[in-house]
Amino acid sequence: MNIKTENERKIIYVDNNATTSVAPEVFEAMVPFFKSEYFNPSSVYNEALFAHNSVEKSREKIAHLLGDVDPSEITFTSCATESNNMAIFGAIRANSNVNRSQSSQPHIITTAVEHPAVIQVCREAERYGAKVTFLSVNKNGELDITEFVRALNVDTLMVSIMHANNETGVIFPIEELSRITKETNPNIIFHTDATQTVGKLKIDLNSRSGNFRYVDLLSFSGHKLHAPKGVGSLFIRKGTAIRPILIGGHQERGKRAGTENVAGIVALAKAMELSLESGSENGSGSAGASGGPAYKELLYLKNLRDTLESSIISKVPFLEVNGAKAKRLPNTTNLSCHYIEGEGILYQLNSYGICASSGSACTSGSLDPSHVLKAMKIPFTAVHGSIRFSLSRYNTMEEINYISKVFPEIVRNLRRLSPYWNQEKDCPREGAPAV
Amino acid sequence: MVWKYSDKTQKLFMDAVQGKEGTHLGEIKDADGIGEHGSIACGDAMRFAFKVRRHETDPLQDIIIEVKYLTFGCTSAIASSEALCALIEQKEHTPLTALKISNKDIADYLDGLPDQKLHCSVMGAEALEAAVIDWAKKRGVDLRPYGINIDRQNLDEDHGKLVCQCFSLTDTYIRRKIKELNLHSIADITNAIKAGGACGSCHHSQGGLQDLLDEVWKDNNNTSNNSNSNNTQTKDKNMSSSSNEFSNDNNQVQDQTKVEGENKPKLSPYQMGKKVEEVVNQKIRPALARDGGDMEVVDIKDNIVYCRLKGACRGCMGATMTLKMMVERLLKEDVDENIKVVSV
Repeated sequence: MNIKTENERKIIYVDNNATTSVAPEVFEAMVPFFKSEYFNPSSVYNEALFAHNSVEKSREKIAHLLGDVDPSEITFTSCATESNNMAIFGAIRANSNVNRSQSSQPHIITTAVEHPAVIQVCREAERYGAKVTFLSVNKNGELDITEFVRALNVDTLMVSIMHANNETGVIFPIEELSRITKETNPNIIFHTDATQTVGKLKIDLNSRSGNFRYVDLLSFSGHKLHAPKGVGSLFIRKGTAIRPILIGGHQERGKRAGTENVAGIVALAKAMELSLESGSENGSGSAGASGGPAYKELLYLKNLRDTLESSIISKVPFLEVNGAKAKRLPNTTNLSCHYIEGEGILYQLNSYGICASSGSACTSGSLDPSHVLKAMKIPFTAVHGSIRFSLSRYNTMEEINYISKVFPEIVRNLRRLSPYWNQEKDCPREGAPAV
Repeated sequence: MVWKYSDKTQKLFMDAVQGKEGTHLGEIKDADGIGEHGSIACGDAMRFAFKVRRHETDPLQDIIIEVKYLTFGCTSAIASSEALCALIEQKEHTPLTALKISNKDIADYLDGLPDQKLHCSVMGAEALEAAVIDWAKKRGVDLRPYGINIDRQNLDEDHGKLVCQCFSLTDTYIRRKIKELNLHSIADITNAIKAGGACGSCHHSQGGLQDLLDEVWKDNNNTSNNSNSNNTQTKDKNMSSSSNEFSNDNNQVQDQTKVEGENKPKLSPYQMGKKVEEVVNQKIRPALARDGGDMEVVDIKDNIVYCRLKGACRGCMGATMTLKMMVERLLKEDVDENIKVVSV
């Protein structure tokens, strides 16, 4: 098979939790900063003023869209991974003596299904003496609030729990978790990685009225919502003690040194504006102080996703929708096909021009399948056969119908090859490990 | 990870999944040799079968006339299975000459495999060997003179010590493969037979992969490897001890009741728990039950009581209010005025 270039064939891009295409409006907004407005925003001459103002206006816009928070609470970074590193290491370094007697270890609570940019940072913190609790999830991918409550202790320095899972789209109740944390001890820092949810779910950080008023730190990035790669942000609520991890400049009020990515910052603000404001006409998702995402767009995505899911379920036997019983992002579906391997599915999908992803071991670069699906105890007959489709506003019903048409055929092809499948009866072979 | 498969691998895979002519998907009725390798839990598994034209008097002159496979696995696992079959068909093979086909031959036939995918070709060679052993048993051939211990798959490997828990591989098996496939580093081992590819805890454990490597290659005076691994380990230790900026001696167990440091007499956590339970059972739950509701105490830490409303109260708009107002008031009155209720 020939993999042709994008120009030669139609691509159906359904891997938007990995990254998104840059919105045309966002691209336009960036262009001046690659041309005439190339100046360093820190320079003193008049020519640099526009760059400087553009950064600050973007900061104000984002602060407004996240619930009229103070612009100084928005710090720009290079990506959500940097934001997560800064949140966790920064909080540990600034607070290692708060809450606890001098003689104890700082304690962090996180979950077993976080993005590696949180899990591995926590593991690194363990090497430096922190104690970390990794909360488990049930087979739907949900947390047990009781387990969370019991994990809180006198040494707990911070809680870091993602808003929605990148692989399954399962949403964690950040409102409730952050409230419980703060009611237990206001000194515990609450961090959430909202990389998958900014622009998709309601996030209102307003300290009086917002649903996220108990959240101290919130990470997100641009390239998941149609801005380019290379820009991210960390919301740092006023009064949250945090040390910088990038040192060597006055930028971002000393919180994050390094010359600003002006074009990226402008793009991030523009992209958030597109995601969060376009729904206001609809009345249900007003922008600004309430921080509501474009409601109409979410309904559109949910409709596409549900159509895809139900169509595939009706045609493919022995298929699981991972996290189906939990609250999920409207754009994500994670399917597991029993008795086949995900990479073979991806590969064939790609031969039809469809770009998706898998939690199978063969695609991860290690030999271990997805830590998220393993934490959910997805049966081992299915954990290797997982496929994630994640949609964006640029997907169409026509594309969904095309995927629903080719997907069952692809699964059949691989099952025909599988030593665990009985092709004639279209069911697992006798003696195959039970589902 | 971006695929770096050769054109040959891609073509064999697509031909196989589309069931094109000349591919070898399937099973053989009354096969003369059947071999399996891998398992679904490990992420790939292969069943390989062949049929021979039996020689009238000398089983050693049986000729393989048909080969088939069924494979659960990724693109390269399926392509490797096809490659194995194609290699056998290239010329007249007896089971013994077929055995000479190595994982390297399979990888070469595919114009190479990415390092991390070498284990797919090893799986092909292993399944072939298992099938030949099966044939030998059926035909009463003693393979030992040819350097193959028929029983080794059943004996050595099962009786060895489990080294790689994730992929259920024993020291005897790994040691044999280190020699056979000429593996010189942990990465080599993982690429070829997957051992150590998941949790990684067997890399430097006692009797783990590094120890097995050292043991097998010690004649080659491979001391640099050994000292390297020791170095890293000591370095690790230094790192963690020198940079323990947060943890000091913390042997003493923190008693949570002490932290608040009140000077008036306090209930012990046990007494407090009992008292809360009493009030909840006697006063609060009966009151909630009148509205079809109920509650449970999830946890008590210090002076914070974590409660969960159940029944009709769960999800009720006034739930938090109920907890705050009624539960907290009653607990303050009857147990401790410092009690705070958190609804969960």
